[in-house]
Amino acid sequence: MVDASSQPLIETQNLVKKFGSFTALNGVSLKVFPGEVHALLGDNGAGKSTLIKALSGVHQPTSGKIFVEGKETRFNSPRDASGVGIGTVYQDLALNSLTSVTRNFFLGREMKFGKGPFGILKMKEMHEIAINEMAKIGIKIEDPEQPVGTMSGGQRQTLAIARAIYFGAKVLILDEPTSALGQLQQMEVLKTIKKVQQLGHIAIILITHNEIHARLIADRYTFISLGEVIGSGTSKDLESDDIRRLMAGGAKVGDLAKELA
Amino acid sequence: MTSELSRQEADRHRPKGGLRSIISRPEIGPIGVMLLLFGMLGYFSIPAAETTWNPFAGEGFNALGIRNNLRVISQLGIIALGAGLLIIAGEFDLSIGSMIGFAGACMAMTLRWGFSIILPYLSFEGGAHLEFYTLLHIPDVSPSLAIFITLCFTLTFGWIQGFIIVRSGLPSFIVTLGGLFFLRGLTEVSLRSFNHRPDQSKGATTVTEIPDLKNVINLPGHGEMEREAAKYLPEADLISIVKGLPADTITEITERLEYTFQRVAEAKTDLMVAKGVKPLERALENALESNNEFMVKTIQDKIANFKIDPVVPKSVTEVDIARAYIDTISTVQPIADFFGGNILESLFDWLYFPIDWNTNNFGNQFAPGLYSCVMIWVILSLVCYIVLSKTQVGNWIYSTGGNLSAAQANGVPTNKVKISLFVFSAFCATLFATCQVFEVNTSDAAKGNLKELEAIAAAVIGGIVMTGGFGTVLGIIVGAFIFGLAKEAFFYIPGIDGSFYRVFLGFVIIASALLNENIRKRIMGNI
Ligand SMILES: Nc1ncnc2c1ncn2[C@@H]1O[C@H](COP(=O)(O)OP(=O)(O)O)[C@@H](O)[C@H]1O
Ligand SMILES: [Mg+2]
Repeated sequence: MVDASSQPLIETQNLVKKFGSFTALNGVSLKVFPGEVHALLGDNGAGKSTLIKALSGVHQPTSGKIFVEGKETRFNSPRDASGVGIGTVYQDLALNSLTSVTRNFFLGREMKFGKGPFGILKMKEMHEIAINEMAKIGIKIEDPEQPVGTMSGGQRQTLAIARAIYFGAKVLILDEPTSALGQLQQMEVLKTIKKVQQLGHIAIILITHNEIHARLIADRYTFISLGEVIGSGTSKDLESDDIRRLMAGGAKVGDLAKELA
Repeated sequence: MTSELSRQEADRHRPKGGLRSIISRPEIGPIGVMLLLFGMLGYFSIPAAETTWNPFAGEGFNALGIRNNLRVISQLGIIALGAGLLIIAGEFDLSIGSMIGFAGACMAMTLRWGFSIILPYLSFEGGAHLEFYTLLHIPDVSPSLAIFITLCFTLTFGWIQGFIIVRSGLPSFIVTLGGLFFLRGLTEVSLRSFNHRPDQSKGATTVTEIPDLKNVINLPGHGEMEREAAKYLPEADLISIVKGLPADTITEITERLEYTFQRVAEAKTDLMVAKGVKPLERALENALESNNEFMVKTIQDKIANFKIDPVVPKSVTEVDIARAYIDTISTVQPIADFFGGNILESLFDWLYFPIDWNTNNFGNQFAPGLYSCVMIWVILSLVCYIVLSKTQVGNWIYSTGGNLSAAQANGVPTNKVKISLFVFSAFCATLFATCQVFEVNTSDAAKGNLKELEAIAAAVIGGIVMTGGFGTVLGIIVGAFIFGLAKEAFFYIPGIDGSFYRVFLGFVIIASALLNENIRKRIMGNI
């Protein structure tokens, strides 16, 4: 873990996003540091996806500021965001199940001999890179020609993450990477995230519903409810009771128990 | 960590062995069907009199059979490549057939009547009426210009279809269905209106009497004329042509003709011997069966003493030399020859000399080689293979059809990919039409009817999945072979209606689609 005095890789100040009369984000501030996993927690509809879409250039915030490495930045498109090193792994992973690991790894950024779209692919080099990059974050692939559709959900997550990192992501945004997976594969993905964290130079924003997962790997937490931050802190600051209470949207667990009784 | 825990998902993936990876290739089923059809065609086309099991002795594989079958297969193969690549990118094109008719008509009309750009405008002199301003008029259009003009129209139309589809999000089925009707109608309308010209029967939807451009030669002393017309000039003219030739050219042609006539004579002699001896051999068999010793002996004597006067080779005349020389003059229209001529002529000469069925008395071949469209198909297939499986564009085509949003999220210009493939499909249809026009020197508004469905069927048989993202160029080639071979093979099966080939193809199409879907699901991880 990096000490909090170092500069955040990405920071938001009072981010507001309105959809017409509906306020999806109402002044959200957060800081994400290199080598840290920053867990973004909150109920369905709290505004987590809206927040990361603002960070990855899909949405333009209504007001508020975004800083990347200390510099104020505006993103007009996802391309702008990935240009300054913000890599987002969405839930659908943006993979083509019908083609090979390598073809997916380099999709849209293929290495080739010669210029122009008719350049011949450097297949051998791309195979090697794809295998090595995935091995770096803990998944060994025997056959880079294997169609992505035959890989497990965990392997696919790893592929998408390795791809984002290889193509220069300094901030890695993961939107509920474990939600659609079985137990074993969830563990695989967590191990992968841990490996990325250990690389030391990448800041990870992890959106999850799962308190256990968050507690296993997160260094810092931000809890969002109805578009506002209702609590934040490092893993040391927060007791597990706090976490549980905040995850339930700020209501005291005791109150909840009474209500349910 | 124990070794058990370090076991990963990847360890469950069975590594591919050599044989397993061959068997699991998606083309293996279609290749099997193709080989079966090859065998059927060869075996069933063996003439009844022959007693052989060698399928290559069949009529399906003699010079004429190979020439005609490969023409059908390669014509279909050309448009199947356009259709197939487009399906891999997730769209398809129903306008291919009409595009063939349109391109053929456009090319034939410009070759026959020239090309003009005429602008109508409103004139008020002497009452408002339309006037026409001729911006450009080219009365004599060369083959390459005709091809260029046609491509301008067809590629633009392909681009417009693609543009409408990617911009509106409408299914390509509807838009290209519109294209199918639009182009066919436009072809008929334009042919009828241009045929009001006095030199064509009024209102016909055909263009005829285009000169045989691929065989136009420049004959010394006579100017440009068709090769056949040149060969049948008055004998005095032919002889005077020979007089003007250099001596060594004459010697060379004479030697070649003497050799050829010798071969013809030998072949004829062999044929006569065979024809004379065969009945005797049959009689001998009968005699042996009936144990008639006297007959056996007589017939055996007859066979032993069978003699026939060898055929005397025809002597080489000056007219022969002139005609042979005319055959060697190369065309003044190489482009027409490139698309409509023949290839592998000397190979055919070497392989198929038998006087009986491929060579006439002058040593000329009935099947002088393969149609040029075979070469065009081979070139196009090679280019498509490299583009689809070896280049960046290939990966873009697969991902555009396999997962459109994933492709877009990774920066693949999916709209450009799709529009380009609609243009390519129109290009393939134009190639088809170009070959046809220069082969037969006519065009007809009905040309290409239903070809779009045949092209799609060939692609599906070859392992292309209709939902996109999956398939290979090798598969498309095999699909074209299956489609083309089926018709011929069923034609030769004795005692069966030739139309059964359609029944068979219908069955193959559905079976292939089921198989393709199964393979796709397995790859998607759903099985
Ligand atoms: N494009 C949009 N237009 C209007 N409302 C939206 C849009 N996107 C999200 N919302 C609303 O904003 C709120 C927050 O959504 P979201 O960020 O997806 O929540 P979370 O990811 O935390 O579950 C929801 O009430 C949702 O309906
Ligand atoms: Mg969400």
